Amino acid sequence: MTDKIIEIDELRKSFKDVKAVDGLSFSVKRGELFAFLGVNGAGKSTTINIISGILPKDSGTVSIFGENIDSHADRIKSKLGIVFQSSVLDKRLSVMDNLRSRAALYGIFGKQFAVRLAELDALLGLKDIIKRPLFKLSGGQRRRADIARALIHSPELLILDEPTTGLDPQTRQTVWSVIDKLRAEQGLTVFLTTHYMEEAAIADYVVILDAGKKVAEGTPHDLKTRYATDSLRIYTHLDETQRYLAEQNVVVRRERDYLEAEVPDTAAATRLIAARPELFDDYEVLKGNMDSVFLRVTGKNIKEA
Amino acid sequence: MSELKKLWALTVRNMKCYFKDKFLFFVSMITPMILLVLFVTFLRSVYIDSFNGIFDMFGFVADEGLVNGLAGSWLLSSVMSVCAVTVAVCSNAVMIQDRIDGAINDLKTSPVKGTTLSLSYFVANFLVTLIVMLAVLAVGFVYLAIVGWYISFGNVMMILVDTLCCVLFGTLFAGVIESFISTQGALSALSTLVSSLYGFICGAYMPLSQFSQGLRNLLCVLPGTYSVGIMRKHFMQGYVDKLGEMGLSDQGQKALLDGFDGNLYVGKTQMPLWSMYAILLGTCLLLLGAYVTIVVLQNNKRARKSPKG
Repeated sequence: MTDKIIEIDELRKSFKDVKAVDGLSFSVKRGELFAFLGVNGAGKSTTINIISGILPKDSGTVSIFGENIDSHADRIKSKLGIVFQSSVLDKRLSVMDNLRSRAALYGIFGKQFAVRLAELDALLGLKDIIKRPLFKLSGGQRRRADIARALIHSPELLILDEPTTGLDPQTRQTVWSVIDKLRAEQGLTVFLTTHYMEEAAIADYVVILDAGKKVAEGTPHDLKTRYATDSLRIYTHLDETQRYLAEQNVVVRRERDYLEAEVPDTAAATRLIAARPELFDDYEVLKGNMDSVFLRVTGKNIKEA
Repeated sequence: MSELKKLWALTVRNMKCYFKDKFLFFVSMITPMILLVLFVTFLRSVYIDSFNGIFDMFGFVADEGLVNGLAGSWLLSSVMSVCAVTVAVCSNAVMIQDRIDGAINDLKTSPVKGTTLSLSYFVANFLVTLIVMLAVLAVGFVYLAIVGWYISFGNVMMILVDTLCCVLFGTLFAGVIESFISTQGALSALSTLVSSLYGFICGAYMPLSQFSQGLRNLLCVLPGTYSVGIMRKHFMQGYVDKLGEMGLSDQGQKALLDGFDGNLYVGKTQMPLWSMYAILLGTCLLLLGAYVTIVVLQNNKRARKSPKG
């Protein structure tokens, strides 16, 4: 059994003149939480659609579970579950009807379906929504149904295309607790695309995409070490401190009631403070996060994109 | 076996999607409802006056129940032939809705063949249209039984055969023309167009014999005209036979059938019943060929675009 569950090499896909995916290569290890980061149009969904067999690729190799997607698409599809960005279940049908019709596509009928449904109910708490039509459910309830659909055939790989976008914090937490449980108990591999940096920060491995190309990859710790800068936030003597930091060639930004200075690391901040301690009555050093990694490697702020 | 089970599961899912969508069901019943309203408000008396006009010409006085039944059967033959197309077009909207909503992507991520997916839409559309048609027929037969029933068992059987032919035609017609639709706007436009126009161009509202010769010849090119033609024949025959038994002359019977499309003419040539079936089923074969070609091309598109390796 291969350790790599997804292997993609030189993947390319264009829509007319637009290169949606441009020579992308990466791999995903079994059991890991893999995050794909990128602004809208970076090529995340196109890559997912190719992996899940919805879109044909122009060129490159896509191997999943050690099998080529061109020659073994059906075998791959039977082990892959996907939660789409927006719900694609049948709005007029009940959750039960939706799950039953989708389960049948994987050869799950009758008693086998009933057993699987009971397992999913235990995991996701479907009892209160199982008989209700999808269009009558709240956003969070609908997401639970989407996840149940993706898990109906007990996939080995779960693809989540921005699964928590537009959800309230409590529902986001519910979604993540389910994913954590599945990973812990079943060793499920999760391929995630997200706009939320705090979600990317808990991934085992992150690939950052920009204009269809990979611009950075690594563990969140690696990425933060390589690309993120710490910042020093100062709340007192703003005018004088700003002059001082400018003299030291430190990039500084003035907000309404504080200054924010970019520093390479905590040691650099300490040196600045030690040289003029009288200016630093009230301050804090903020560690670099995935937002600053993303900003550094793409030049774009994901929250504004 | 497994692929057959998947086909059935998808078919059931498609049928449920149609029947649970009340708006879609309502739109597909617009034409029959319009026909019913027109019948109740004035068409019934127009038909009866026309029938009596023909009877007067031949010095015949008809039984009231017989005339009411004849008017009802004429309307029912219209409703049946039009419904076969309008219900099929609206029921097939499930396929288009899947493209618009993205549900088709969800189905494509499962290990089901593209041909199974396409076939499920066709089978579901056929069954939905057949179920609706049989329900309409049952209601219509109850009405005829109340006002005056003169349809023989043989003609009832032939009406069921006609229903199957019309449903097959409607389903294939919808399958072909809707293969190219992928937006809500185009779907609404097509449904509205078919629902409002189809009844006129196949002679469901007014007999073709009342149109000009040129228009009649033009409409005879359209296969839908023959779906109405076969229905008319089997719905009207029992009533005309009874009128003959009660003393209406052969010329009188012919005048009635000619005036109300029981006999169809292309130019001055009367179309025999078998030729109407031949044209209708021949059209179905052509549509089937077109439908299969479209499905194969659409499924192959993916393979052509996706080089190995």
